[in-house]
Amino acid sequence: MSAAIEVAGLTKVYGAKRALAGVDLTVPTGSVFGFLGPNGAGKTTTLRILTGLAAPSGGEARVFGHDVVSATNQVRADIGFLPDVPGYYEWMTAPEFLRFAGSLFGIGGRVLDERVEALLDLAGLTGVRQKIGGYSRGMKQRLGVAQALINAPKLLMLDEPTSALDPIGRKEVLDMISSLGGRTTVFFSTHILSDVDRVCDTVAILHEGRVVTQAPIGELKSRYGTSKLVVGVTEGADALAAAFRAEPWAAEVARGDNGSIKITVADLESARRAVPAMVAAAGVGLTRFETGEVSLEEVFVDLVGGER
Amino acid sequence: MRGFGAFLGKEFREIVRTWRIWVLPGIVLFFAISGPPLAKITPELLSSFVPADSGMVIQMPDPTYVDSYLQWTKNLQQIVLFTVIIMFGGIISVEKKSGTATLVLTKPLSRTAFVISKTLSALVLLVVTVCVGALATWGLTYAIFAEAPLAPIAQATGTWLLTGALFLALMVALSAAMDSQAGAAGLGFLGFIVLSIATLWKPAMDYSPAGLLSAPTTLVMGESATLGWPIATTVALTLACVAAAVLVFRKREL
Repeated sequence: MSAAIEVAGLTKVYGAKRALAGVDLTVPTGSVFGFLGPNGAGKTTTLRILTGLAAPSGGEARVFGHDVVSATNQVRADIGFLPDVPGYYEWMTAPEFLRFAGSLFGIGGRVLDERVEALLDLAGLTGVRQKIGGYSRGMKQRLGVAQALINAPKLLMLDEPTSALDPIGRKEVLDMISSLGGRTTVFFSTHILSDVDRVCDTVAILHEGRVVTQAPIGELKSRYGTSKLVVGVTEGADALAAAFRAEPWAAEVARGDNGSIKITVADLESARRAVPAMVAAAGVGLTRFETGEVSLEEVFVDLVGGER
Repeated sequence: MRGFGAFLGKEFREIVRTWRIWVLPGIVLFFAISGPPLAKITPELLSSFVPADSGMVIQMPDPTYVDSYLQWTKNLQQIVLFTVIIMFGGIISVEKKSGTATLVLTKPLSRTAFVISKTLSALVLLVVTVCVGALATWGLTYAIFAEAPLAPIAQATGTWLLTGALFLALMVALSAAMDSQAGAAGLGFLGFIVLSIATLWKPAMDYSPAGLLSAPTTLVMGESATLGWPIATTVALTLACVAAAVLVFRKREL
Protein backbone atom coordinates (compact mmCIF):
# COMPACT_ATOMS: atom_id res chain seq x y z
CA MET A 1 0.00 0.00 0.00
CA SER A 2 1.45 3.42 -0.94
CA ALA A 3 1.76 6.19 1.62
CA ALA A 4 -0.55 9.20 1.85
CA ILE A 5 1.78 10.87 4.33
CA GLU A 6 5.48 10.20 4.83
CA VAL A 7 7.30 12.10 7.55
CA ALA A 8 10.97 11.58 8.39
CA GLY A 9 12.96 13.22 11.16
CA LEU A 10 10.57 16.16 11.33
CA THR A 11 11.56 18.81 13.87
CA LYS A 12 10.07 22.12 14.89
CA VAL A 13 11.64 24.52 17.33
CA TYR A 14 9.97 27.62 18.82
CA GLY A 15 12.70 29.59 20.55
CA ALA A 16 13.98 27.34 23.32
CA LYS A 17 11.00 24.95 23.01
CA ARG A 18 11.31 21.83 20.86
CA ALA A 19 7.76 21.08 19.74
CA LEU A 20 8.77 18.20 17.43
CA ALA A 21 11.91 16.22 18.15
CA GLY A 22 12.22 14.04 15.05
CA VAL A 23 8.82 12.67 14.04
CA ASP A 24 8.81 9.62 11.78
CA LEU A 25 5.44 8.61 10.44
CA THR A 26 3.87 6.73 7.53
CA VAL A 27 0.15 6.95 6.88
CA PRO A 28 -1.04 4.25 4.45
CA THR A 29 -3.41 5.32 1.68
CA GLY A 30 -7.00 4.36 2.45
CA SER A 31 -6.53 4.11 6.20
CA VAL A 32 -8.45 5.92 8.94
CA PHE A 33 -5.40 6.89 10.91
CA GLY A 34 -5.52 8.03 14.53
CA PHE A 35 -2.75 10.42 15.55
CA LEU A 36 -2.88 10.07 19.29
CA GLY A 37 -1.02 11.99 21.95
CA PRO A 38 -1.44 13.96 25.16
CA ASN A 39 -2.00 17.71 24.99
CA GLY A 40 1.22 19.45 23.95
CA ALA A 41 2.71 16.34 22.34
CA GLY A 42 3.05 18.07 18.94
CA LYS A 43 -0.04 16.82 17.07
CA THR A 44 -1.27 20.26 15.96
CA THR A 45 2.27 21.35 15.06
CA THR A 46 2.65 18.28 12.82
CA LEU A 47 -0.67 19.05 11.12
CA ARG A 48 0.24 22.72 10.66
CA ILE A 49 3.45 21.69 8.91
CA LEU A 50 1.66 19.13 6.73
CA THR A 51 -0.88 21.75 5.61
CA GLY A 52 1.72 24.45 4.90
CA LEU A 53 0.63 26.74 7.75
CA ALA A 54 4.03 26.43 9.44
CA ALA A 55 7.51 25.63 8.21
CA PRO A 56 9.53 22.74 9.65
CA SER A 57 12.85 23.43 11.39
CA GLY A 58 14.28 20.18 10.00
CA GLY A 59 13.42 16.84 8.44
CA GLU A 60 10.97 16.29 5.63
CA ALA A 61 7.28 15.69 5.10
CA ARG A 62 5.53 14.51 1.96
CA VAL A 63 1.85 14.20 1.07
CA PHE A 64 1.26 11.79 -1.82
CA GLY A 65 4.93 12.25 -2.68
CA HIS A 66 4.77 16.08 -2.77
CA ASP A 67 7.08 17.96 -0.46
CA VAL A 68 4.93 20.10 1.87
CA VAL A 69 7.41 23.01 1.74
CA SER A 70 8.26 23.24 -1.96
CA ALA A 71 5.02 21.90 -3.48
CA THR A 72 2.34 23.49 -1.32
CA ASN A 73 -0.05 24.04 -4.24
CA GLN A 74 -0.16 20.34 -5.16
CA VAL A 75 -0.52 19.38 -1.49
CA ARG A 76 -3.39 21.80 -0.87
CA ALA A 77 -5.22 20.61 -3.99
CA ASP A 78 -5.19 17.03 -2.66
CA ILE A 79 -6.19 17.62 0.95
CA GLY A 80 -9.15 18.67 3.03
CA PHE A 81 -8.39 20.16 6.42
CA LEU A 82 -10.38 20.89 9.55
CA PRO A 83 -8.43 22.84 12.21
CA ASP A 84 -9.11 22.29 15.92
CA VAL A 85 -11.11 25.52 16.21
CA PRO A 86 -12.42 26.32 12.72
CA GLY A 87 -13.02 30.01 11.99
CA TYR A 88 -15.88 30.89 9.66
CA TYR A 89 -17.23 34.01 7.99
CA GLU A 90 -20.15 34.14 10.36
CA TRP A 91 -22.30 36.30 8.06
CA MET A 92 -22.47 33.42 5.56
CA THR A 93 -24.91 30.52 5.60
CA ALA A 94 -23.65 26.92 5.34
CA PRO A 95 -24.50 26.58 1.59
CA GLU A 96 -22.76 29.92 0.91
CA PHE A 97 -19.64 28.85 2.80
CA LEU A 98 -19.49 25.51 0.99
CA ARG A 99 -19.90 27.27 -2.38
CA PHE A 100 -17.15 29.73 -1.46
CA ALA A 101 -14.86 26.88 -0.33
CA GLY A 102 -15.55 25.04 -3.60
CA SER A 103 -14.82 28.16 -5.68
CA LEU A 104 -11.35 28.38 -4.09
CA PHE A 105 -10.67 24.97 -5.68
CA GLY A 106 -12.03 26.22 -9.01
CA ILE A 107 -15.10 23.99 -8.72
CA GLY A 108 -18.32 25.39 -10.16
CA GLY A 109 -21.52 24.64 -12.05
CA ARG A 110 -23.44 21.43 -11.54
CA VAL A 111 -20.54 19.64 -9.86
CA LEU A 112 -20.50 22.26 -7.10
CA ASP A 113 -24.30 22.25 -6.79
CA GLU A 114 -24.34 18.47 -6.34
CA ARG A 115 -21.46 18.45 -3.86
CA VAL A 116 -22.96 21.23 -1.75
CA GLU A 117 -26.26 19.39 -1.60
CA ALA A 118 -24.61 16.06 -0.71
CA LEU A 119 -22.34 17.57 1.93
CA LEU A 120 -25.14 19.54 3.58
CA ASP A 121 -27.00 16.26 3.81
CA LEU A 122 -23.94 14.47 5.25
CA ALA A 123 -23.51 17.24 7.84
CA GLY A 124 -27.21 17.26 8.72
CA LEU A 125 -27.49 20.92 7.73
CA THR A 126 -29.93 20.65 4.83
CA GLY A 127 -32.58 23.34 5.13
CA VAL A 128 -30.76 25.26 7.87
CA ARG A 129 -31.14 28.90 6.81
CA GLN A 130 -29.47 30.41 9.87
CA LYS A 131 -26.13 32.23 9.47
CA ILE A 132 -23.07 30.35 10.71
CA GLY A 133 -22.63 32.87 13.55
CA GLY A 134 -25.70 31.34 15.20
CA TYR A 135 -24.52 27.72 14.96
CA SER A 136 -23.77 25.45 17.93
CA ARG A 137 -20.25 24.05 18.33
CA GLY A 138 -21.42 20.68 17.00
CA MET A 139 -22.99 22.24 13.89
CA LYS A 140 -19.76 24.17 13.24
CA GLN A 141 -17.67 20.99 13.52
CA ARG A 142 -20.00 19.10 11.16
CA LEU A 143 -19.83 22.00 8.70
CA GLY A 144 -16.04 21.89 9.18
CA VAL A 145 -15.89 18.27 8.06
CA ALA A 146 -18.22 19.08 5.14
CA GLN A 147 -16.12 22.03 3.91
CA ALA A 148 -13.00 19.86 4.15
CA LEU A 149 -14.66 17.38 1.77
CA ILE A 150 -15.78 19.92 -0.88
CA ASN A 151 -12.86 19.06 -3.20
CA ALA A 152 -13.36 15.29 -2.77
CA PRO A 153 -9.87 15.19 -1.18
CA LYS A 154 -7.55 12.21 -1.41
CA LEU A 155 -6.55 12.94 2.20
CA LEU A 156 -8.75 14.39 4.94
CA MET A 157 -6.86 15.87 7.90
CA LEU A 158 -8.80 16.57 11.08
CA ASP A 159 -7.25 18.23 14.11
CA GLU A 160 -9.01 17.26 17.35
CA PRO A 161 -12.44 17.32 15.68
CA THR A 162 -14.35 16.13 18.75
CA SER A 163 -12.41 17.54 21.69
CA ALA A 164 -14.79 20.38 22.56
CA LEU A 165 -18.07 18.66 21.76
CA ASP A 166 -20.79 17.24 24.00
CA PRO A 167 -21.50 13.48 23.71
CA ILE A 168 -24.18 13.95 21.03
CA GLY A 169 -21.99 16.29 18.98
CA ARG A 170 -19.09 13.83 19.29
CA LYS A 171 -21.21 10.94 18.12
CA GLU A 172 -22.43 12.91 15.11
CA VAL A 173 -18.93 13.91 14.03
CA LEU A 174 -17.54 10.40 14.62
CA ASP A 175 -20.39 8.95 12.56
CA MET A 176 -19.44 11.32 9.73
CA ILE A 177 -15.79 10.22 9.94
CA SER A 178 -16.75 6.52 10.10
CA SER A 179 -18.84 6.91 6.97
CA LEU A 180 -15.74 8.07 5.06
CA GLY A 181 -13.78 4.87 5.72
CA GLY A 182 -12.69 3.27 2.43
CA ARG A 183 -13.55 6.38 0.39
CA THR A 184 -10.62 8.60 1.38
CA THR A 185 -7.60 8.51 3.67
CA VAL A 186 -8.43 10.10 7.02
CA PHE A 187 -5.70 11.45 9.32
CA PHE A 188 -7.28 12.28 12.62
CA SER A 189 -5.47 13.81 15.59
CA THR A 190 -6.95 13.48 19.04
CA HIS A 191 -6.24 12.87 22.71
CA ILE A 192 -9.53 11.02 23.17
CA LEU A 193 -8.67 7.33 23.15
CA SER A 194 -12.20 6.03 22.77
CA ASP A 195 -12.65 8.04 19.56
CA VAL A 196 -9.59 6.41 18.02
CA ASP A 197 -10.72 2.99 19.22
CA ARG A 198 -14.08 3.58 17.58
CA VAL A 199 -13.23 4.92 14.12
CA CYS A 200 -9.54 4.30 13.33
CA ASP A 201 -7.89 1.22 11.88
CA THR A 202 -4.29 2.38 12.41
CA VAL A 203 -2.76 4.50 15.13
CA ALA A 204 0.42 6.37 15.93
CA ILE A 205 1.15 7.59 19.44
CA LEU A 206 3.05 10.85 19.75
CA HIS A 207 4.80 11.76 22.98
CA GLU A 208 7.06 14.74 23.64
CA GLY A 209 7.52 15.44 19.94
CA ARG A 210 8.30 11.85 18.89
CA VAL A 211 6.23 8.96 17.56
CA VAL A 212 6.66 6.23 20.17
CA THR A 213 4.71 3.59 18.26
CA GLN A 214 2.75 3.14 15.05
CA ALA A 215 0.69 0.08 14.09
CA PRO A 216 -2.77 -1.16 13.18
CA ILE A 217 -4.87 -0.97 16.35
CA GLY A 218 -5.46 -4.73 16.55
CA GLU A 219 -1.74 -5.46 16.23
CA LEU A 220 -0.90 -2.84 18.84
CA LYS A 221 -3.36 -4.31 21.34
CA SER A 222 -2.16 -7.86 20.79
CA ARG A 223 1.48 -6.75 20.99
CA TYR A 224 0.87 -5.24 24.42
CA GLY A 225 -1.87 -7.71 25.40
CA THR A 226 0.58 -10.65 25.39
CA SER A 227 2.26 -9.22 28.46
CA LYS A 228 -0.94 -9.23 30.51
CA LEU A 229 -2.47 -12.16 32.38
CA VAL A 230 -5.78 -12.31 34.19
CA VAL A 231 -6.07 -15.01 36.87
CA GLY A 232 -9.33 -15.86 38.67
CA VAL A 233 -9.44 -17.95 41.88
CA THR A 234 -12.24 -19.20 44.12
CA GLU A 235 -10.72 -17.74 47.32
CA GLY A 236 -7.49 -16.34 48.79
CA ALA A 237 -6.89 -13.89 45.93
CA ASP A 238 -5.09 -11.37 48.16
CA ALA A 239 -2.55 -13.93 49.42
CA LEU A 240 -1.93 -15.24 45.91
CA ALA A 241 -1.50 -11.67 44.56
CA ALA A 242 1.16 -11.10 47.23
CA ALA A 243 2.88 -14.36 46.23
CA PHE A 244 2.83 -13.40 42.54
CA ARG A 245 4.38 -10.02 43.39
CA ALA A 246 7.42 -11.80 44.82
CA GLU A 247 8.03 -13.72 41.59
CA PRO A 248 10.74 -12.46 39.19
CA TRP A 249 8.45 -12.85 36.10
CA ALA A 250 5.80 -10.48 37.57
CA ALA A 251 6.38 -6.80 36.77
CA GLU A 252 3.14 -5.54 38.28
CA VAL A 253 0.24 -7.20 40.09
CA ALA A 254 -3.18 -5.67 40.75
CA ARG A 255 -6.34 -7.06 42.32
CA GLY A 256 -9.47 -7.07 40.19
CA ASP A 257 -13.13 -7.79 40.97
CA ASN A 258 -14.53 -11.17 42.06
CA GLY A 259 -11.28 -12.89 42.98
CA SER A 260 -9.41 -11.85 39.86
CA ILE A 261 -5.75 -10.82 39.74
CA LYS A 262 -4.28 -8.81 36.86
CA ILE A 263 -0.59 -9.46 36.25
CA THR A 264 1.73 -7.54 33.94
CA VAL A 265 4.44 -10.10 33.21
CA ALA A 266 8.05 -9.67 32.21
CA ASP A 267 8.36 -13.33 31.07
CA LEU A 268 5.10 -14.78 29.77
CA GLU A 269 6.31 -18.40 29.40
CA SER A 270 7.59 -18.58 33.00
CA ALA A 271 4.33 -17.04 34.21
CA ARG A 272 2.24 -19.59 32.27
CA ARG A 273 4.14 -22.44 33.93
CA ALA A 274 4.26 -20.98 37.43
CA VAL A 275 0.76 -19.56 37.93
CA PRO A 276 -1.29 -22.85 37.79
CA ALA A 277 1.27 -24.53 40.08
CA MET A 278 1.08 -21.72 42.63
CA VAL A 279 -2.74 -21.76 42.56
CA ALA A 280 -2.74 -25.53 43.11
CA ALA A 281 -0.19 -25.23 45.91
CA ALA A 282 -2.45 -22.67 47.61
CA GLY A 283 -5.27 -25.22 47.54
CA VAL A 284 -7.80 -22.96 45.81
CA GLY A 285 -9.77 -23.41 42.60
CA LEU A 286 -8.70 -21.75 39.33
CA THR A 287 -11.73 -20.06 37.66
CA ARG A 288 -9.94 -18.00 34.99
CA PHE A 289 -6.51 -18.01 33.37
CA GLU A 290 -6.15 -16.03 30.18
CA THR A 291 -4.08 -13.55 28.29
CA GLY A 292 -5.43 -10.14 29.19
CA GLU A 293 -7.52 -8.05 26.78
CA VAL A 294 -5.59 -4.79 26.73
CA SER A 295 -7.36 -1.52 26.00
CA LEU A 296 -5.90 1.26 23.86
CA GLU A 297 -5.90 3.34 27.02
CA GLU A 298 -3.58 0.87 28.76
CA VAL A 299 -1.24 0.86 25.75
CA PHE A 300 -1.27 4.65 25.72
CA VAL A 301 -0.60 4.94 29.44
CA ASP A 302 2.22 2.38 29.19
CA LEU A 303 3.87 4.29 26.36
CA VAL A 304 3.52 7.85 27.62
CA GLY A 305 4.18 7.07 31.25
CA GLY A 306 0.71 7.81 32.54
CA GLU A 307 0.79 11.39 31.31
CA ARG A 308 -2.50 12.48 29.74
CA MET B 1 -2.51 34.32 -7.66
CA ARG B 2 -4.65 31.17 -7.34
CA GLY B 3 -8.09 31.78 -5.88
CA PHE B 4 -7.89 35.55 -6.43
CA GLY B 5 -11.26 35.99 -8.13
CA ALA B 6 -13.16 33.79 -5.67
CA PHE B 7 -11.63 35.47 -2.64
CA LEU B 8 -12.10 38.99 -4.05
CA GLY B 9 -15.78 38.18 -4.57
CA LYS B 10 -15.99 37.10 -0.93
CA GLU B 11 -14.34 40.38 0.15
CA PHE B 12 -16.89 42.50 -1.72
CA ARG B 13 -19.80 40.46 -0.34
CA GLU B 14 -18.33 40.84 3.14
CA ILE B 15 -18.17 44.64 2.76
CA VAL B 16 -21.80 44.82 1.68
CA ARG B 17 -23.13 42.40 4.29
CA THR B 18 -21.26 43.42 7.45
CA TRP B 19 -20.44 46.53 9.53
CA ARG B 20 -17.91 47.62 6.89
CA ILE B 21 -20.65 49.09 4.71
CA TRP B 22 -21.74 51.41 7.55
CA VAL B 23 -18.52 52.71 9.12
CA LEU B 24 -16.44 54.39 6.39
CA PRO B 25 -19.36 55.33 4.10
CA GLY B 26 -21.35 56.53 7.14
CA ILE B 27 -18.56 58.82 8.36
CA VAL B 28 -17.69 60.14 4.90
CA LEU B 29 -21.30 60.84 3.91
CA PHE B 30 -22.09 62.47 7.26
CA PHE B 31 -19.30 65.00 6.80
CA ALA B 32 -19.96 65.37 3.07
CA ILE B 33 -23.57 66.33 3.76
CA SER B 34 -23.00 68.43 6.88
CA GLY B 35 -20.01 70.39 5.46
CA PRO B 36 -21.74 72.81 3.03
CA PRO B 37 -24.52 73.98 5.41
CA LEU B 38 -21.94 74.28 8.20
CA ALA B 39 -19.78 76.49 5.98
CA LYS B 40 -22.82 78.66 5.25
CA ILE B 41 -23.79 79.24 8.89
CA THR B 42 -20.31 79.41 10.44
CA PRO B 43 -20.01 83.25 10.28
CA GLU B 44 -23.48 83.68 11.85
CA LEU B 45 -22.60 81.04 14.43
CA LEU B 46 -19.44 82.89 15.43
CA SER B 47 -21.25 86.23 15.60
CA SER B 48 -23.86 84.74 17.90
CA PHE B 49 -21.16 83.94 20.50
CA VAL B 50 -20.46 87.67 20.97
CA PRO B 51 -22.85 89.21 23.56
CA ALA B 52 -25.04 91.90 21.98
CA ASP B 53 -24.19 94.46 24.68
CA SER B 54 -20.40 93.94 24.44
CA GLY B 55 -19.93 96.47 21.68
CA MET B 56 -17.69 94.01 19.81
CA VAL B 57 -18.29 93.49 16.12
CA ILE B 58 -16.91 90.49 14.26
CA GLN B 59 -16.57 91.20 10.60
CA MET B 60 -16.27 88.14 8.42
CA PRO B 61 -16.47 87.87 4.65
CA ASP B 62 -19.56 86.20 3.26
CA PRO B 63 -19.01 82.44 2.98
CA THR B 64 -18.43 81.03 -0.52
CA TYR B 65 -18.10 77.62 -2.15
CA VAL B 66 -14.40 77.68 -1.15
CA ASP B 67 -15.40 77.49 2.54
CA SER B 68 -17.61 74.52 1.76
CA TYR B 69 -14.80 72.75 -0.11
CA LEU B 70 -12.37 73.54 2.73
CA GLN B 71 -14.73 71.79 5.17
CA TRP B 72 -14.60 68.71 2.91
CA THR B 73 -10.80 68.63 2.55
CA LYS B 74 -10.24 69.29 6.29
CA ASN B 75 -12.46 66.30 7.14
CA LEU B 76 -10.69 64.10 4.60
CA GLN B 77 -7.25 65.06 5.93
CA GLN B 78 -8.15 64.29 9.55
CA ILE B 79 -11.27 62.30 10.41
CA VAL B 80 -11.44 60.17 7.26
CA LEU B 81 -7.70 59.43 7.34
CA PHE B 82 -7.93 58.43 11.02
CA THR B 83 -10.90 56.19 10.17
CA VAL B 84 -8.80 54.48 7.48
CA ILE B 85 -5.96 53.91 9.99
CA ILE B 86 -8.24 52.44 12.67
CA MET B 87 -10.57 50.47 10.39
CA PHE B 88 -7.86 48.80 8.34
CA GLY B 89 -5.44 48.20 11.25
CA GLY B 90 -6.79 44.64 11.44
CA ILE B 91 -7.41 44.02 7.75
CA ILE B 92 -5.12 40.93 7.73
CA SER B 93 -4.60 40.15 11.41
CA VAL B 94 -8.33 39.79 12.19
CA GLU B 95 -8.58 36.89 9.71
CA LYS B 96 -5.49 35.30 11.25
CA LYS B 97 -6.83 35.69 14.78
CA SER B 98 -10.35 34.45 13.98
CA GLY B 99 -9.04 31.34 12.22
CA THR B 100 -10.66 32.11 8.86
CA ALA B 101 -7.22 32.60 7.28
CA THR B 102 -6.28 29.06 8.39
CA LEU B 103 -9.35 27.62 6.74
CA VAL B 104 -8.96 29.41 3.38
CA LEU B 105 -5.16 29.27 3.13
CA THR B 106 -5.14 25.48 3.41
CA LYS B 107 -7.10 25.52 0.16
CA PRO B 108 -5.57 26.53 -3.17
CA LEU B 109 -5.65 30.26 -2.34
CA SER B 110 -2.16 31.77 -2.42
CA ARG B 111 -1.09 34.16 0.31
CA THR B 112 -0.31 36.75 -2.38
CA ALA B 113 -3.88 36.53 -3.68
CA PHE B 114 -5.16 36.78 -0.09
CA VAL B 115 -3.29 40.06 0.57
CA ILE B 116 -3.96 41.60 -2.86
CA SER B 117 -7.70 40.76 -2.72
CA LYS B 118 -8.07 42.38 0.69
CA THR B 119 -6.11 45.47 -0.40
CA LEU B 120 -8.00 45.88 -3.66
CA SER B 121 -11.45 45.50 -2.10
CA ALA B 122 -10.59 48.03 0.64
CA LEU B 123 -9.24 50.43 -1.97
CA VAL B 124 -12.43 50.14 -4.03
CA LEU B 125 -14.49 50.82 -0.88
CA LEU B 126 -12.36 53.88 -0.10
CA VAL B 127 -12.40 55.30 -3.64
CA VAL B 128 -16.12 54.77 -4.22
CA THR B 129 -17.05 56.15 -0.80
CA VAL B 130 -14.88 59.26 -1.11
CA CYS B 131 -16.02 59.93 -4.70
CA VAL B 132 -19.69 59.67 -3.63
CA GLY B 133 -18.90 61.98 -0.70
CA ALA B 134 -17.21 64.49 -3.01
CA LEU B 135 -20.20 64.45 -5.37
CA ALA B 136 -22.56 65.01 -2.40
CA THR B 137 -20.47 67.96 -1.20
CA TRP B 138 -20.29 69.39 -4.72
CA GLY B 139 -24.09 69.11 -5.24
CA LEU B 140 -24.95 70.61 -1.85
CA THR B 141 -22.40 73.38 -2.33
CA TYR B 142 -24.06 74.32 -5.62
CA ALA B 143 -27.50 74.20 -4.00
CA ILE B 144 -26.44 76.44 -1.10
CA PHE B 145 -23.93 78.83 -2.72
CA ALA B 146 -25.19 78.75 -6.35
CA GLU B 147 -21.58 78.33 -7.42
CA ALA B 148 -19.55 75.12 -7.32
CA PRO B 149 -16.78 74.60 -9.88
CA LEU B 150 -16.04 70.92 -10.28
CA ALA B 151 -12.30 71.09 -10.98
CA PRO B 152 -11.02 72.21 -7.54
CA ILE B 153 -12.97 69.61 -5.55
CA ALA B 154 -12.14 66.87 -8.09
CA GLN B 155 -8.41 67.71 -7.98
CA ALA B 156 -8.38 67.97 -4.17
CA THR B 157 -10.28 64.69 -3.72
CA GLY B 158 -8.10 62.90 -6.26
CA THR B 159 -4.96 64.12 -4.52
CA TRP B 160 -6.26 63.05 -1.12
CA LEU B 161 -7.15 59.62 -2.49
CA LEU B 162 -3.46 59.05 -3.21
CA THR B 163 -2.65 59.82 0.44
CA GLY B 164 -5.58 57.64 1.52
CA ALA B 165 -4.29 54.76 -0.63
CA LEU B 166 -0.82 55.17 0.88
CA PHE B 167 -2.17 54.90 4.43
CA LEU B 168 -4.38 51.96 3.43
CA ALA B 169 -1.31 50.15 2.02
CA LEU B 170 0.66 51.03 5.16
CA MET B 171 -2.09 49.51 7.32
CA VAL B 172 -2.14 46.35 5.15
CA ALA B 173 1.64 45.98 5.66
CA LEU B 174 1.44 46.61 9.42
CA SER B 175 -1.53 44.25 9.79
CA ALA B 176 0.33 41.54 7.87
CA ALA B 177 3.33 41.93 10.15
CA MET B 178 1.63 42.08 13.57
CA ASP B 179 -1.33 40.45 15.29
CA SER B 180 -2.55 43.48 17.23
CA GLN B 181 -5.02 45.78 15.46
CA ALA B 182 -4.43 48.47 18.10
CA GLY B 183 -0.65 48.17 17.69
CA ALA B 184 -0.91 48.53 13.91
CA ALA B 185 -3.24 51.52 14.27
CA GLY B 186 -0.79 53.10 16.74
CA LEU B 187 2.04 52.76 14.23
CA GLY B 188 -0.26 54.13 11.52
CA PHE B 189 -0.88 57.25 13.63
CA LEU B 190 2.87 57.51 14.17
CA GLY B 191 3.31 57.48 10.38
CA PHE B 192 0.75 60.28 10.09
CA ILE B 193 2.57 62.37 12.72
CA VAL B 194 5.94 61.83 11.01
CA LEU B 195 4.45 62.89 7.66
CA SER B 196 2.82 65.95 9.26
CA ILE B 197 6.15 67.01 10.81
CA ALA B 198 7.86 66.45 7.46
CA THR B 199 5.61 69.14 5.92
CA LEU B 200 7.73 71.69 7.84
CA TRP B 201 10.81 70.74 5.78
CA LYS B 202 10.77 72.05 2.20
CA PRO B 203 12.67 69.19 0.50
CA ALA B 204 10.19 66.72 2.03
CA MET B 205 7.31 68.85 0.73
CA ASP B 206 8.85 68.94 -2.74
CA TYR B 207 9.83 65.29 -3.11
CA SER B 208 7.94 63.10 -0.62
CA PRO B 209 4.31 62.15 0.18
CA ALA B 210 4.36 65.00 2.73
CA GLY B 211 3.78 67.30 -0.25
CA LEU B 212 0.36 65.72 -0.81
CA LEU B 213 -0.81 66.09 2.78
CA SER B 214 -1.72 69.78 2.51
CA ALA B 215 -2.25 69.78 -1.27
CA PRO B 216 -6.08 69.34 -1.15
CA THR B 217 -6.42 72.59 0.83
CA THR B 218 -4.08 74.42 -1.54
CA LEU B 219 -5.99 73.17 -4.59
CA VAL B 220 -9.50 74.14 -3.40
CA MET B 221 -8.21 77.62 -2.58
CA GLY B 222 -7.29 77.99 -6.24
CA GLU B 223 -3.56 78.12 -5.61
CA SER B 224 -1.15 76.29 -7.89
CA ALA B 225 0.89 73.35 -6.61
CA THR B 226 3.72 71.35 -8.17
CA LEU B 227 2.90 67.78 -7.24
CA GLY B 228 4.85 65.60 -9.69
CA TRP B 229 7.41 64.27 -7.24
CA PRO B 230 5.02 63.92 -4.27
CA ILE B 231 2.59 61.95 -6.47
CA ALA B 232 5.38 59.72 -7.82
CA THR B 233 6.85 58.99 -4.38
CA THR B 234 3.39 58.39 -2.88
CA VAL B 235 2.49 55.87 -5.59
CA ALA B 236 5.90 54.18 -5.27
CA LEU B 237 5.60 53.97 -1.48
CA THR B 238 2.05 52.61 -1.75
CA LEU B 239 3.20 49.82 -4.05
CA ALA B 240 6.21 49.15 -1.81
CA CYS B 241 3.92 48.78 1.23
CA VAL B 242 1.70 46.27 -0.61
CA ALA B 243 4.76 44.32 -1.79
CA ALA B 244 6.13 44.32 1.78
CA ALA B 245 2.77 43.07 3.07
CA VAL B 246 2.85 40.17 0.59
CA LEU B 247 6.45 39.24 1.42
CA VAL B 248 5.90 39.42 5.19
CA PHE B 249 2.65 37.47 5.08
CA ARG B 250 4.15 34.73 2.91
CA LYS B 251 6.80 34.15 5.58
CA ARG B 252 4.44 34.22 8.55
CA GLU B 253 3.25 31.07 10.32
CA LEU B 254 -0.49 30.82 10.80
